[in-house]
Amino acid sequence: MGILLQLAFRNLGRNRRRTLLTVLTVALGTGLLTVALSMLTGILLDTLKFAAAAVGHVRVVDPEYARRDQLMPLAYNLPDVAAVVAAAEGQPGVLSAHPHIMMGVTGAREDQDIGENFSLLHGAPIAYYTDILDLDVYLSSGRLPAKDGEAVLGETFAAELDVKVGGVVIVLGQTQDGSPSPARLEVVGLVDLGNKNVNRQTFVLLSQAQWLADLEGGATEVLVHTADHDDADEVAAALRSQSALSAYDVAAWNERPPFDSVGAFLQAVRGIVSGIIVFITGLGVLNTMLMSVLERTNEIGVMRAMGLTSSQTRAMFLVEAVTIAAFGGVVGVSLGSGVAFYLSRVGIHLGEAVAKAPAGIPLHETVYPHASVDTVVLAFLLGLAMAVVGGILPAWRASRIQPVEAMRHRR
Amino acid sequence: MSTLVLAFLLSVRFAFALTVDEILVQIDKNLTYEARDSSLTMTVTKGTRTKSYKMRSFGRGQDEMAMEYLEPARDKGTKMLKKVDELWMYLPAIEKVQKLSGHLLRDDLMGSDMSYEDLMESSRWQKAYNGTIVAEELVEGRKAWKIEMIARDTSVSYPKRLIWVDQASFIPVRQELFALQGKLLKTWLMRDIRKIEGREFPMKMVVEDQVEKGSRTEITFDRVSFEVALPEEVFSTRWLER
Repeated sequence: MGILLQLAFRNLGRNRRRTLLTVLTVALGTGLLTVALSMLTGILLDTLKFAAAAVGHVRVVDPEYARRDQLMPLAYNLPDVAAVVAAAEGQPGVLSAHPHIMMGVTGAREDQDIGENFSLLHGAPIAYYTDILDLDVYLSSGRLPAKDGEAVLGETFAAELDVKVGGVVIVLGQTQDGSPSPARLEVVGLVDLGNKNVNRQTFVLLSQAQWLADLEGGATEVLVHTADHDDADEVAAALRSQSALSAYDVAAWNERPPFDSVGAFLQAVRGIVSGIIVFITGLGVLNTMLMSVLERTNEIGVMRAMGLTSSQTRAMFLVEAVTIAAFGGVVGVSLGSGVAFYLSRVGIHLGEAVAKAPAGIPLHETVYPHASVDTVVLAFLLGLAMAVVGGILPAWRASRIQPVEAMRHRR
Repeated sequence: MSTLVLAFLLSVRFAFALTVDEILVQIDKNLTYEARDSSLTMTVTKGTRTKSYKMRSFGRGQDEMAMEYLEPARDKGTKMLKKVDELWMYLPAIEKVQKLSGHLLRDDLMGSDMSYEDLMESSRWQKAYNGTIVAEELVEGRKAWKIEMIARDTSVSYPKRLIWVDQASFIPVRQELFALQGKLLKTWLMRDIRKIEGREFPMKMVVEDQVEKGSRTEITFDRVSFEVALPEEVFSTRWLER
């Protein structure tokens, strides 16, 4: 094995320009991989964090509400929401449980016709907005609602109504029975949640939404939060076993659409992007190594005649490829990590395309890559994979060379 | 006897001689009043939930309709006014008259199986649809023309309607309302036809959502009067605010 390594290293030095070019190809590939994986991980983590905060790590609803989730049917609610909150908060592992009402409303200024501009209205205790949604962090102006009759509007909805902080809007929703239910709300704050669709929301206190929905003492759902979203499955299972909650639908965030498919979708995208980069970079390595095999056909013939076996020949070329990949990988992940770290601070603006993403998949217009040791190690290992992908065919060709034919071979 | 037979044959001939347009014009006329003042109860059933509303409704001509909710307490004082293609609503909770527009008009009326647009379109069939008589059938023992109506303009709420028109009263006693793709959305029945002040009038309507099974709205007229003098103010936004 020692002699093989020596031969491999010596061969790498024989055509330094070509070796350098291959190292740079691998470095570029692994660098790109590091940035791409960091970016996709950033999107994934951002989605998970946002999803978990917005929809609750675990949600308790009426079973019929769960069945018709997309329609948000107010009629299927939790009439005694305090009892559900108490039962959930008593469960070990639960950090908080908040009643929440979500309903579609149409809005207008006092002087406008109503029916053209729609918003998703949230009603929840102020602690949900500050501790879970971090709504105060996303305020672009004004403050959070402090009493009934006050609302925070997403910037898109506010722009559609042409209203600013201090303005008044009329919202028209429906009670749980379907009767029209209006409210006059003073706009006390505007929020920018980073996405045009998500910014089409309205936030009021729970009591205001309860009045609008004619749901005094009730809510449509209880959102339960745990210390980590990974604990959600375990806590959901524990809550399901409680007799006080047995009549309800209890589900972890990753069991509910669209989040039951978003994670798998992003992982699939991650796999596809990685595969494409590995393949393209592998082609570069393949090209270099094939040239090397062709150039050294005579030499391989002599070595085979002197007793080098097929498997030793394969191993020698693979060692060369992996050595190139190791050098290129170190350079690539170093540069890639630096770029990813920089982008993780300044962000990458994805713009309108994300805003047009299907509602319910909370992607932000600005993505912050997440550079981690896991990502760097994965990119480096994939860099080695590039070398193996690119080195297998030349190594196999080299091992098939017959000594006599090889020695007759002309350069 | 021979006179009776002759009269019967003539009536049958007369019945068949009517064109679809003539039938539709007759329906439009029949459901249009110089003045109408009525009290009604609307009961909405969604699965196991039932809610009733009491209302007073006024109508004039084809294009004017006003309605005030009397019960339940939460909805008391809510008023609606339809004038041609426009709809206003008075919302007592915010003491404001609000004109409804856009997609909101497709929303359910008080959670019922009728939309605001159903109110707006009720009496313009002859203008909005091309009709074909496809059969004559008995509906609850009454002879009726079965007419297929295809909308001239697909922007209407129901691009296709199948209606069964009672030959004696020209009231569409049964309707099937379809979406553009041909899916049956609702059925609409008019029952308990009575002669009131010289006019035939359905005292009960039942609308059933065929997409959301178990959703049903029943409207029962408790009192209807056509010989009334309605003040002009009833069909103005001033009345809404009063």
